[in-house]
Amino acid sequence: MHQILDIISSGIHDAKNQLFLAESLITQAEAEHGLKLDEARFAIEHAAARLSRLLTAYKLHREVGQLSIDMVSVGDLIEEAVMINAPHCRHLGLDLSSQNLEHKAWPLDRELTLDILSNAIQNASRHARSRIKISTTTGDSGLTLRIEDDGPGYPSTDVELMASKGVGLYVANEIARQHHRGERHGSLVLSNGGALGGAVFELLLP
Amino acid sequence: MTDGTELYRKLRFLVIDDQPAARQSLRICAQAMGAFSVEFSSGYQDAITRIRRNPPDVILCDYMLGDDRSGQQLLEELRRHELLNDEAVFMMVTAEQSYEQVVAAVELVPDDYIIKPFSPERLKFRLDRALQRKNFFRPFYVAKREANFDKADAFIETNRDSEAGQPYRFELLRQNAELKLARGDASAAEAAYEEILELHPFPWARAGKAKSLMRQNRHNEARKIVDSVIESSPQYFDAFDLKTQICIDMGDYEEAQQTVEAVSQRTRRNYVRKRLLADAALLNGDATTACSAMEDVLQNDVVIGGFSVSDRLMLVRSLIEAGDALSAEQTIRKITAVSLETATLNEKTSYQALLVMLAPDEARARFNTLAQSCSEIGLDITTQVDVIRAALALNDMELAKCVTAALFASDEIRRVFKQVHLLYETRGAEQEFRTLQREAALLKIGRKAAG
Repeated sequence: MHQILDIISSGIHDAKNQLFLAESLITQAEAEHGLKLDEARFAIEHAAARLSRLLTAYKLHREVGQLSIDMVSVGDLIEEAVMINAPHCRHLGLDLSSQNLEHKAWPLDRELTLDILSNAIQNASRHARSRIKISTTTGDSGLTLRIEDDGPGYPSTDVELMASKGVGLYVANEIARQHHRGERHGSLVLSNGGALGGAVFELLLP
Repeated sequence: MTDGTELYRKLRFLVIDDQPAARQSLRICAQAMGAFSVEFSSGYQDAITRIRRNPPDVILCDYMLGDDRSGQQLLEELRRHELLNDEAVFMMVTAEQSYEQVVAAVELVPDDYIIKPFSPERLKFRLDRALQRKNFFRPFYVAKREANFDKADAFIETNRDSEAGQPYRFELLRQNAELKLARGDASAAEAAYEEILELHPFPWARAGKAKSLMRQNRHNEARKIVDSVIESSPQYFDAFDLKTQICIDMGDYEEAQQTVEAVSQRTRRNYVRKRLLADAALLNGDATTACSAMEDVLQNDVVIGGFSVSDRLMLVRSLIEAGDALSAEQTIRKITAVSLETATLNEKTSYQALLVMLAPDEARARFNTLAQSCSEIGLDITTQVDVIRAALALNDMELAKCVTAALFASDEIRRVFKQVHLLYETRGAEQEFRTLQREAALLKIGRKAAG
């Protein structure tokens, strides 16, 4: 089993190295010819993120691998998620904004959480009419990372049902659960309404 | 990316990657951020040479460097040998998501890492943060480098609850714990690691606590923690080294050797670890393994300053214990008079003690002179055992007993008890050893009763 995992991991690793070469050629072309190739860049990063996510999903399914927890600045995390997705949202004519960029640090797996946020923003961008908003709150139950849009909302807010339909929500749900502090575990909450009237994606980390 | 390009223009970059195409990509990235001076390195050894000659401000290093080397190993070597100031930024670049697990576990971490593919904008975002942090900690780094621990401490105390220190609160906690260990205040270090562990059971913080406990001679507690760290983070190799040291301290040489041997096989080119393996093996009576580990060090550790007189002496010692006097003598003859001039007192004494076993007629007079003063000067434990070994070989029971009694009087005997016992046993002096042990015990009881 681990041999297969090693083969898959190394294949994905090679693919991402290739994608990085492609992205740097884009950077070079942009610099030399004064172009802006945001959508090409986005397609490359999107493809790489998909590969990583599939590997994560496979590992979760096989119950191998563990979280890599570090103290991460919540503000930086959101800023980076916006940085990755803002050009694509702009291209779609959507307004992507964030609120509450505090420098509070939280114990979480940065790369996985960043991917979950990015994926949620991309989901929202497919359904939003004009706006996507990211916000965070901290309280007794932990840190909440929230992504809202002004689209028609989720067809169902049953997390287990929705997580069985797509790899993105499956990974989000499982990774949320794996974050824990003592007995308290994280969770994924889906709802409709919120500040913008559409889908509300909430990742709760203890 | 218009802001900050001024700053990046002034910084010297070093890109380390064994793949030419990847080096080009990173150069393009660096230039897009505004970098002007970008130097290349194709791998481990070359990188070290370049860094020594011309220390860069920012290192972009791929995790996989080929030839059994990793960027993590390079980073550890640079920081441990102080080839790179704390002010320089070391950024690990990798396509491997699992690198995250290495960073989350280990104690010596890069300033940040980034997973390929990424845009120059995102790399700049992470570098900006790292540079801001470096800038904030600058006075602390200077104080630490000058071993001005009070000043370093004051920096941490002032900033812990300050507004400016707020984004760096966690880093301050981490630096505080390391500082307490560095200045030898093990119980304060323990408390500092406890404070970190309240946030999350980070493997490196658990290991730090174990180290603090070890320094307080609380070996059983330390070992329990380090065992659990190894179980939960098998990729955290330093934890194996720590366990080896704890086991040696406890006199459990067999477990010590097994532990370091297992991890050494997975990190074949880590020569610091090879030396630890030699130590553990020799204590465990496995002179053959100690010999081959030291031969490997002497042949292959050519990267940083190379091997020292101590390393050659360790090989001589191992060869003597393995019964190969011929090779031992060949090896000790390779130590030059010039290198002995700059050697430490411990090294000089060990040299005489080992030489006298191999060429008694030639070295006896000098050894006797040195040995007369050896109970007064605080020699380290390895050298003391060398003197005991030589004294027993020369039938100088008085000297052997004098040094052994001093070992018993300190708590250090625990580390070498079996080894010294074996030396006496092979010379048919078991009785003398037991008498020394009894006398030391009686002395301790007497002291306790009196105090």
